[in-house]
Amino acid sequence: MSPAPTAGVPAPDGGSPVHDGAEHPEGGGGRRDPGGRRRARWSWAFGLRTRLTLAFLLVAAVSAGTTAALTYREARSALLQTAQDTAVSSFRDEVRQTGFPMPLQAEGIEGVLRDIARKGRPHPWVAFAEYGSIRASSGTSPVSGVITPQLRRAARANPHGSFQRVVKDGVPYLTIAMPTVFPTGPEGVLPTGLVLYAVMRMTDEQINVEALLTAARDGALPGLVVALLPGLLAARSVLRPVRELRRAARSMGSGRLDTRIQVRGGDELADLARTFNESAEQLEHSVRELRQAEARARRFASDVSHELRTPLAGMLAVTEVLDEDAGRLDPDTARAVRLISSETGKLAGLVEDLMEISRFDARAAELNTDELDAAEAVRKTLENRHWTDGRVRTELPEGIRVRLDPRRFDVVVANLVGNALRHGGTPVTVRLRRGTGSDGVPLLVTEVADNGPGIRPEALPHIFDRFYKADAARTRSEGSGLGLAITLENVRLHRGTVRAGNRPEGGAVFTVEIPLHTEGDGR
Amino acid sequence: MRHGHVRRWALAAAPVGALLLAGCGIQGTGVVEAGGPASVRVGPDPDFDALLFFRLPDGELTPVVRSFPPANAFPDEYEQTGGPVLPRSPERAVLALLAGPAKEDEAAGLSTSLPRTTTAGGVRVRSAADGRVLVNLPLALGALDATAVRQLICTAAYSKDRDGRVTVLVKGRDGVTATGICGLDLNGEDPGPTPTAVATRGRTAPPGPTP
Repeated sequence: MSPAPTAGVPAPDGGSPVHDGAEHPEGGGGRRDPGGRRRARWSWAFGLRTRLTLAFLLVAAVSAGTTAALTYREARSALLQTAQDTAVSSFRDEVRQTGFPMPLQAEGIEGVLRDIARKGRPHPWVAFAEYGSIRASSGTSPVSGVITPQLRRAARANPHGSFQRVVKDGVPYLTIAMPTVFPTGPEGVLPTGLVLYAVMRMTDEQINVEALLTAARDGALPGLVVALLPGLLAARSVLRPVRELRRAARSMGSGRLDTRIQVRGGDELADLARTFNESAEQLEHSVRELRQAEARARRFASDVSHELRTPLAGMLAVTEVLDEDAGRLDPDTARAVRLISSETGKLAGLVEDLMEISRFDARAAELNTDELDAAEAVRKTLENRHWTDGRVRTELPEGIRVRLDPRRFDVVVANLVGNALRHGGTPVTVRLRRGTGSDGVPLLVTEVADNGPGIRPEALPHIFDRFYKADAARTRSEGSGLGLAITLENVRLHRGTVRAGNRPEGGAVFTVEIPLHTEGDGR
Repeated sequence: MRHGHVRRWALAAAPVGALLLAGCGIQGTGVVEAGGPASVRVGPDPDFDALLFFRLPDGELTPVVRSFPPANAFPDEYEQTGGPVLPRSPERAVLALLAGPAKEDEAAGLSTSLPRTTTAGGVRVRSAADGRVLVNLPLALGALDATAVRQLICTAAYSKDRDGRVTVLVKGRDGVTATGICGLDLNGEDPGPTPTAVATRGRTAPPGPTP
């Protein structure tokens, strides 16, 4: 199994952590590489929920920000407009009510300017007068440092009131230029040459504008928080089908092909769910057909071997008779008769093996266990096969009591030894010992080793396959080609394992591990 | 792909940021025109006798108010008893202009381009039949610059017409003449091609015989 570092890590959809065990009952090892794990966590950080919520927040931020900014700009310009208009018109009114000597006299003008400055609206301002070489003001400095040359030039060039907003050292000022004129007669108007300026700090306006900004910001931020709620809801509504889909896909992956998703609504996710259901149905159908085909093929093999058994039995009886009479025939005919006899025997063995395999495939093989001495069982097997002539060495410690199916154990040992004698070199060693499985279960370990060339590494994974030829050059084997496959099935029936390998000192070795007590497994 | 994402988000966020950054606080502006000028009363005497035109430090002409003492020093001064607009003291106005800026005028930085002349006679201002104002001067016109000629024209114009909307013809002792209008009036109906009193100058006769 994977190391399962899921503890504390939220599942990708942010829901409850998935209990892996139930969905990957076995063989999950290596299914999840650490890289994929990291990728999953990364994609969770930028997962659908995060992205949807972020998108919602962005939209909310854009709209709230735009609204706030536009409102703020409008309000600000209205605020400033009002202040400016008030200042300009009240400055003009104040100046209009004042008389000036022509030419202007430097003496006394400051008093006049102070009068004007005092009445400044909306705030007191500083008034400046420029005439010829006279510079005077209501303040301390006769010349303002805020009034720009552009404003001066504009006031001199055309007789219009004008203003300019100047920001100096972070303080906004409103500067107003007011050229003065006087009537010469009923119609004529002449400029006096006197230009009055007013400079007003817009501190209050600045405060108001900043208050506006604060208000806009404080209005936008709660808007964002409020937008978070529908964002999360929308993410949920999108994520729920996705989560269901994932659960269903995982369920199908673990073999439950009848998994379906409930289709809700008619959106793209519903389409996806429908497509998933259709695919699942087709997959289930295909798998069912495949299984049926496989079952048919197995039944066919089983039927064929059954049908072959009866005529073969007859043929065997006939060939036995022929064998006995072979000595009386001429040599050529005798050789042909013996050939027929031996091939018929092999054919009968093959049919027997096929039927045995068919029983395993049909899961009709039964385990008839009995308690016995392992060494005794092996010795009996070797004697029955007449393998007592020194080709087979044994290391059989006495007293290993084991509960197993004697007939099947006999088949296992016989097949392994027979295989070793056929393909490996003598002597063949059969060794018995006690062992312990990885889960602490006591085992009976049976080793069959030979002194042949060993098994080629590329053949090792297939050595238990049916009709597998380890030596490709030898197309015709003396065995049925099913021996090791039958061995494997028998060992499996005992809940044991069998492996093939090569010894370091040369030769192949087959190791069978069977639990000492196989009883109670139901079958 | 990752980059594409980033760019798209940046694209969406950019206008918002720009909008937010664009206008916080109070910004400066350019010069904005707001209404007409302020019309003021001029002193010290609202019923001044004459307007003299002197030169500001920047070269422009500006009017100053003069009131003449009631002392009947000049025989051709007559009271405004009837008629539409009576010239009160055109000759005195021109003479005062020729006398140069007073102490207060100079204190305000005003100057003149005319040579200071204290001659009491030789100045005659009269209205011609065609409505023009004819001014005879006791000095040579040919030596004067354009500003000086404008000072003369404007002063003469406003001495004969309170609105100054008359054409003035100035003739110097040297026989040189200059014609023009003052053009400083802001309500002037005919700015025409010569809005600021381009004085046309010409020598009508070779120097020598005086007309």
